[in-house]
Amino acid sequence: MSWPSLNLLGQAILSGIFIGGLYGLIGLGLGLTWGLLRQINLAHFGFVFLAAYLSYQMATEWGIDPLATLLVLPPLFFLAGAGMQWLLARFEITPFNSLLVTFGITVVIESIIQGIWTADFRRLETHYNDQKFTIGNFYLPVPELLTLLLSVAIAVLIWAAMRYTDLGKALRAMAQDGPIAAAFGINEKGMSLMLAGVCAALAAVAGICLALTFTLAPSQIFAWVGVVFAAVMLGGLGSALGPLVAGVIIGVSEAVTMAVTAPSWAPIVSFSLLIAMLLLRPDKVGR
Amino acid sequence: MLEVRNISVYYGAAPALWDVSLEVGPGELVCVVGPNGAGKTTLINAIAGLNRVRSGAIVFDGRDLTRMPSHLFCGAGVAIVPEGRRLFDQMSVLENLELGSFISAAKAHRRESLALVLSLFPALEAKLKNPAGSLSGGQQQMVAIGRALMARPGLLLLDEPSLGLAPLIVSDMFRAIRSINQRGTSVLLVEQNVSMALGLAQRAYVMEEGRIVMQGHASEMLERPEIQKAYLGIEAP
Amino acid sequence: MNKTVAAILATGALMASVPWLGLPAFYESLLYLGCHWMVLALSWNILSGYSGYFSFGHGAFFGIGMYTSAGLSGNLNWPFLWTLPAAAALAALLGIGLGTVVFRVKSVRGELFALLTLAITFVVGTIVLNTRIDGGPGIYLNAVAVPALGPTAPASLYLMALAAAVLSLLLAYRIQYSKLGIGLFAIHDDEDVAEVMGVPTFAYKLIAFGVSCALAGLAGGIHALFVAYVTAGETFNITVPLTVVLMSVLGGTRHWAGPAVGAVVITGLLYYFTAGNNPVAGRAAVGVILVVVILFMPNGILGYLGKARRKRSAPARPAAVATAAPAPSAPIAQVALRSSEVLLEVRGLSKAFKGVQALDRVNLQVHRGEILGLLGPNGSGKSTFINVVSGHYEASGGQVIFEGHQLTGLAAHRVAHAGIARTYQIPRPFAHLTVRQNVVLAAMFGGARVSQRVAEHEAAQWLEFTGLAGKGDALPDDLNLHQRKFLELARALASRPRLVLLDEVLSGLTPGEINEAIDLIRKIRDRGATIVFVEHVMRAVMALADRVAVLNHGKLIASGPANEVMSNSEVVTAYLGAAHA
Repeated sequence: MSWPSLNLLGQAILSGIFIGGLYGLIGLGLGLTWGLLRQINLAHFGFVFLAAYLSYQMATEWGIDPLATLLVLPPLFFLAGAGMQWLLARFEITPFNSLLVTFGITVVIESIIQGIWTADFRRLETHYNDQKFTIGNFYLPVPELLTLLLSVAIAVLIWAAMRYTDLGKALRAMAQDGPIAAAFGINEKGMSLMLAGVCAALAAVAGICLALTFTLAPSQIFAWVGVVFAAVMLGGLGSALGPLVAGVIIGVSEAVTMAVTAPSWAPIVSFSLLIAMLLLRPDKVGR
Repeated sequence: MLEVRNISVYYGAAPALWDVSLEVGPGELVCVVGPNGAGKTTLINAIAGLNRVRSGAIVFDGRDLTRMPSHLFCGAGVAIVPEGRRLFDQMSVLENLELGSFISAAKAHRRESLALVLSLFPALEAKLKNPAGSLSGGQQQMVAIGRALMARPGLLLLDEPSLGLAPLIVSDMFRAIRSINQRGTSVLLVEQNVSMALGLAQRAYVMEEGRIVMQGHASEMLERPEIQKAYLGIEAP
Repeated sequence: MNKTVAAILATGALMASVPWLGLPAFYESLLYLGCHWMVLALSWNILSGYSGYFSFGHGAFFGIGMYTSAGLSGNLNWPFLWTLPAAAALAALLGIGLGTVVFRVKSVRGELFALLTLAITFVVGTIVLNTRIDGGPGIYLNAVAVPALGPTAPASLYLMALAAAVLSLLLAYRIQYSKLGIGLFAIHDDEDVAEVMGVPTFAYKLIAFGVSCALAGLAGGIHALFVAYVTAGETFNITVPLTVVLMSVLGGTRHWAGPAVGAVVITGLLYYFTAGNNPVAGRAAVGVILVVVILFMPNGILGYLGKARRKRSAPARPAAVATAAPAPSAPIAQVALRSSEVLLEVRGLSKAFKGVQALDRVNLQVHRGEILGLLGPNGSGKSTFINVVSGHYEASGGQVIFEGHQLTGLAAHRVAHAGIARTYQIPRPFAHLTVRQNVVLAAMFGGARVSQRVAEHEAAQWLEFTGLAGKGDALPDDLNLHQRKFLELARALASRPRLVLLDEVLSGLTPGEINEAIDLIRKIRDRGATIVFVEHVMRAVMALADRVAVLNHGKLIASGPANEVMSNSEVVTAYLGAAHA
């Protein structure tokens, strides 16, 4: 172990914050459906990558600005998410089986992606890639900065909606006591469809950000599962801001670990935190 | 106003209610009493749309509610104060009350309704921001009643509101219920505390083992030996 | 020797002859893979399928096995075959160590257990990658000699995997039908009830986990030599856990052979698709199959077939229950009826839940041979009393003394062994076990603790006693409420308890059924058991109870002969409300 220079450490922390923002953005939709609908939706990752690839396609082949895809893809994915929820709701699945079914769906999506775009690495080259802001000795690359801003903005928006709008309160009530919520007029079925759609749209946004900041390969889908789950469980199921905060904490710890020791030690941070959380405060993790 | 006609409710294959009929007229306060396990909660849940009725009909204000999906009962004018309160514990008192007026018809009058609830239960004003689960039993019961009132119902259903509460608080609460009824809301009250229920209601039904075994005017019922037998197992000498 | 065991061994012997048939090496590799996945899936199922603790950490123990063998043979030059027991042992040790910590935390079940075990996989992988175990470059095994079990190296590897597969099949089969297996299946359906019935849940889960990890380690050890180059990235990822779950769920997790079926099917499918032109389409097809199977056949292939077979062979039975048969000759316990000896005493018993005092310093004595009615309005603490005495809840204060022994703070299964049994107000039978198996379990694990064969005999007796003799092979879901309540009774009695706690056994029954139940309860006492029963049906209380105790707001307010107590003004007030007295 060697202590890096303050500069390097600072840059590491910064990059940790940026990737934490992406963890939070991906985890947001996952945590909402898990906390509010009691479904563990692995297909969320499939959606994220599908959106990433679609965004790549639209930008590379058709010359559309990736930021413009933010207007096109989320609505499409909203429909896809609501549709999937509608299908799954027709079977009464336990939370665990929802994990398995959505895993199957993700495998299908992965295969489709590989079928269309092959297993080769794909990098979305845009004029954003090289742009960065400089503050003192630190670099803030534009794609990463954009991701962080989107992540924070969306998390705050959702948090506010859940806190202050009738719809948000209805969702929370429905998650706590479905039958009584229904007794006061809250339509569980309709709400679930809407929530699933919104979370799929969030996945699309996360996917576009992913395409802007990372190299894509179908094999990468499952690499994100572990750390995002850790962020969601640490941040709290059904929470809007939790996964973001947890994601940043995980990202920063990983980055610092990487700078101080070796990059390959990084995964141990998030997973050890997760294990500790599960053993010491399981009531905070489950609902 | 409310007509329950020969309903039967089953839990799986086992019958919980047999051929039960009752009525609540406009502005009436009717109570249903009976020992535990008699089916009182099953009955009130069926009227609120929380239990499926296997046969028979529930008609409210001329509308047949029997086959309607649960979330439409509130809009039809029926609001429930469930057994054990079943508040949204992790949400604030104010949020619980706001959710009571989720349906659009009630939402339009939310501010008025809130003022009414706070005038009935002034103690809640200081607790509006607190999580509902942190309140005492009596206060939680007030919130539960308030939540139902926010829906501006034509019929208020109360399931064992005195459960677990100290006698003094129960008196206050029953006074509030009387006041609600006097303002024109019909009330159907299910209670374990027989004497207080019969002191409050105009008419009463007695249930035992899933059926209605007796009905009549509340004032004369308490003296009847059947009540003693049903509750205490004491045979008249 | 048992027919199934013989069949497994025979098939194994048959398959062992394949290397001498002169097939291309490709087939041996394919067969190797089939056996390899069989071992992994079968071992996973022993913990996860049987007990319901779905683990996503199988990859960790597989990886530990792989690295143990690779390290010992590749770096330390051990002869390969000796590394295999080491691989299995190390994996098992780590699994048991992990289980000792995790199984103590009550709320880590279901999805949480799955995710915790997944996290373990990545943690172990990272440690392996970064320390001297691997360090980064991986471990090469080209220099390791393949034990010459068969004519070629691939054949030898296949034979090793085949041996492991046969071993796994035998273990899975034996465990399923052993006491351990029955206990695990009970844990699967309702762990808390299993514990109360006398199943040592913590110990059993640990044993199952240990066996499961050992087999995974063994598979890993063999696989190290198969791939000949072991890296952390390829080993500690999400592939093994997910594939193993898929195979077991596909084949059926409740049957010992289910995972084997699933492994064969999936390996075959993958081969079929990857050998063809489009491996990607192949993987997609596997994904679609998983989705369809989980949605339409949540019990897997074998589960689906089993259900179909049961539906065909069982003719429609009438819903009526035969009246209870005359009591079997052997008494429950040799005791004088209604003595004044104190069987159960509670002193100052208190139980508080988040702010609610459910029991408040209750002092009560129950005499041997009596029937004591425990009464009180809704919410007075009656069910809590039963839950605390039976060990389902831990008391917040006070003592429970049974036959002179302190029971306070004991694990629920020890309370059961001491001779106390209970029924649940809302029946909680083990949903996936038949009526007979429910009763057999209670006999095997409860106070009587008899062998399986004796337990079967006992079960038949108690099923007749409660009038369920014709329903032995039915599932609890097929029974009506009355029958399910009597199943609760049969289960409680099968452990030959000295004290039976009945929680609202009569609620929901028709008047005729209530009369039958009253008779039955009397018969139970006549055969030597002491009974405490919580009830609301007053005529039953009057008919049965020698003494009555009344709770209100958690406190004991009266006790004594029924007629006296029910006329006590405080009791009347508690029931009817203040204005009357």
